[in-house]
Amino acid sequence: MAKSEEIVYINSEGKRVDGRKVDELRPIKIVPSVLSRAEGSAYIEWGQNKALVGVFGPREALPQHIQDPTKALVNYVYRMATFSVPDRKSPKPGRREIEISKVSGEALERAIFVERFPNTTIDIYVYLFDSNAGTRCAALTAASVALADAGIPMRDLVSACAVGRAAGTIILDPCKAEEDASDAVDMPLAIMPRTKEVVLLQMDGLIGKEEWKKAFELGIKGCLQVYEIQKKALKRKYEEIAEEEEKTIKQIDKELKKVEKK
Amino acid sequence: MKVREMQGRLVIPGELITTRRMKLGPHVFVENGKIYSDTVGLVKIERGSVRVVPLQGKYMPKAGDVVIGIVVAEEYSYYAIDINSFYYSFVPKEEIKIPLKKGTIVSAKIVKVDEINAATLSDIRVFRGGEILTISPVKVPRVIGKNASMLNILKKGTGCSLMVGMNGRIWAKGGNIELLKKALAKIERESHLSNLTLRVQKMLEEEKKKGGAFGKK
Repeated sequence: MAKSEEIVYINSEGKRVDGRKVDELRPIKIVPSVLSRAEGSAYIEWGQNKALVGVFGPREALPQHIQDPTKALVNYVYRMATFSVPDRKSPKPGRREIEISKVSGEALERAIFVERFPNTTIDIYVYLFDSNAGTRCAALTAASVALADAGIPMRDLVSACAVGRAAGTIILDPCKAEEDASDAVDMPLAIMPRTKEVVLLQMDGLIGKEEWKKAFELGIKGCLQVYEIQKKALKRKYEEIAEEEEKTIKQIDKELKKVEKK
Repeated sequence: MKVREMQGRLVIPGELITTRRMKLGPHVFVENGKIYSDTVGLVKIERGSVRVVPLQGKYMPKAGDVVIGIVVAEEYSYYAIDINSFYYSFVPKEEIKIPLKKGTIVSAKIVKVDEINAATLSDIRVFRGGEILTISPVKVPRVIGKNASMLNILKKGTGCSLMVGMNGRIWAKGGNIELLKKALAKIERESHLSNLTLRVQKMLEEEKKKGGAFGKK
């Protein structure tokens, strides 16, 4: 058997396997309001990751015994398509998907004003069509945009981003190759950017205290970058319409001034 | 940033509106003495109070609102009416003189909303004929306009008789309903821009010129 080639995680120029810098995110594209039947929705492309989110509700929670008269339930469903990974994934929700659904739902519940909608559920359905590490962060980022798009009152958006380690260097937003390094550490992190309150923090691998602190700080920086992208995506929808209608608005302003002069 | 600069600005959830002390309107909240928005919307500041006009959202029933409902079920002693909110509202049969059927469209006034947002209805009236159009409930104020200015323009421009429910349902009868649908779509799409009433008026006038015989129909 031929010996597999060793991967150079950080080359002499400080560039990574996919040509990024150590503290650089993959390109992110978010489009809100893509589904007409859902109350709020968003599509995200985060590097190779692709996900679609639909938000329904708040609507009456059924069966009645699951209702909570003090708050709304947040039902987050994270699912991967069978074709999203190299080997076909079983369509049955596995342990991993159920866990991610639980922790992500709890992260969003912190941001939503759940106490304003007693006896209801807010359903968030996330489907991943393509994956290449960091999908739970991509899904959570898109879900918070979809929630804002549905007009659900929130304290803040939730921005997520992973940090990790490959070949002894702390890196932002590791891709699949870097996640499979021999000394790999993978730490998904989600915060509410305004207060920097941590709403999700998980970790795989072994890491020292000092290194962890460094990684955490880098992660927060990454999340803040993601927040700016979310903000732009949410506002762009309305600004586009404003640009299209600019002409007629200006014309009407002119006419109004004419009338005033007379 | 000065408060005046925030007027009419597009904000997203968690975005800072002002650090000044002000009266709180809907869709804002206070944390550590600062006022933030809780939804995607436009900031409105008037007479020392601040609020955010949302651009998306569900209908929250409020006492005093007139809504348009659909009868979804008839039971032995009551009717269940869907008012596009969290729950169906139940109306006892003894309150209504005319018998209703499943699918009947009615207008109703909300008299009470309890702590779980369930509404009690009264003043049930039945619509005869016509069509129901829907619009996002947060945009209903724009369909009505200041002193019902938009509503009058829509009535005049399309020739429909209209009745707007606060829950985002609009009953229309007669006139050019296709044109009304177009106008409502324009209102829904451009509700965050200024001088909407004038632009809709212009659009209706242009359509009338273009339509010719179709406009009169």
